[in-house]
Amino acid sequence: MSEKPDEQNERVWDPLVRLTHWTIALAVVLNGFIIDEDALAHIWIGYAALSLLALRLLWGLIGTENAKFTSFPISFSGAARHVSGLMRGQHPKYKSHNPLGALMVYALWGTLLVVSATGVMLENELFPENDAEYSGQFEEEEEEEEDHDEGGEDLIEEIHEGAANLLLLLAALHVGGVILESRLSGRNLVRAMISGPRS
Amino acid sequence: MEGSETKKRIKADRRRASILAMVLSLQALASVFFIADVGQDLQRGGLDLHSGFEGVVALVLIVGTAFGSLQMRQILSRIHQAETAMSVASGAFFDLIEVRFAEWGLTPSEAEVALFTLKGLDIADIAAARGAAQGTVRAQLAKVYAKARVSSRGQLTSTFIEDLLMSPNERSSTGPAEP
Repeated sequence: MSEKPDEQNERVWDPLVRLTHWTIALAVVLNGFIIDEDALAHIWIGYAALSLLALRLLWGLIGTENAKFTSFPISFSGAARHVSGLMRGQHPKYKSHNPLGALMVYALWGTLLVVSATGVMLENELFPENDAEYSGQFEEEEEEEEDHDEGGEDLIEEIHEGAANLLLLLAALHVGGVILESRLSGRNLVRAMISGPRS
Repeated sequence: MEGSETKKRIKADRRRASILAMVLSLQALASVFFIADVGQDLQRGGLDLHSGFEGVVALVLIVGTAFGSLQMRQILSRIHQAETAMSVASGAFFDLIEVRFAEWGLTPSEAEVALFTLKGLDIADIAAARGAAQGTVRAQLAKVYAKARVSSRGQLTSTFIEDLLMSPNERSSTGPAEP
């Protein structure tokens, strides 16, 4: 289990975890803040994020020990224990995510799945306006935004935007949590995600 | 020591793992794009040669990604194994060094000189590293040899190698360094 304290300074995150983490983070920042939501790049970046998430989830099943879901199970009691431990100044070392961080991970993944799924639905035009016209996906994208008068698509768009905002909020909390945890425990969690070793 | 050789191999494996992670990411990207494309084609034109072929491609990509991931895990666990074996081996070696040095009653500076010698540094190197005169180092080394009852660097090293090779049973239980 993940609660085994680990004394050694070993590499905690394998290359795949690190790569998917930072590329997805980049995609979220790009699509959330920088790229215009009507731009074609928004769609491509969304697809990229979805595929990287899919890869990470696959890795959660067959990957290395620390990357596996079983190493950081959803545990609300564990998270509560972790928080009360931090309050009392205890900083147990976890091989994988700490229980509170694990909850955040699943929340982020879930939200990201909703965002990408609704994004794909919008792009694939499951509720198409001008059907069976294969001519130029690009033009369709632009038209799609101009006259979206169908209720189904509106709802999906609402969900997409709502989930996207939630994702950004969670991401901000995640960053705050990482900074706080690093401060309290004196371990640089950011460096562990960049270069591997966590001291 | 074969440590540097092992380290080299670990480094190569690490590089391989990083490259594989990138390839896997690209494969995942390609898979999702193909799946989306197939989905769109099926929705628009139904199953035909084109969408069928793309479907196969998508499937092959997914299977390839899964196998790539498995290979990635193998490489990473090989790295982990090698590192563990190496740290166990070097840990044992340093334990042994400490015990012997204490037995021989080496002073702290003599112990340091002896350690440098075991690592393969010559007298000039050691003098430079310790900021001491070569004559001092030579004298200290002579004392080390006398206390260890050996007459050369080779013999000094051999006393440790001999001890490490004497307990193969213990060593095999900690896992081999070679796959």
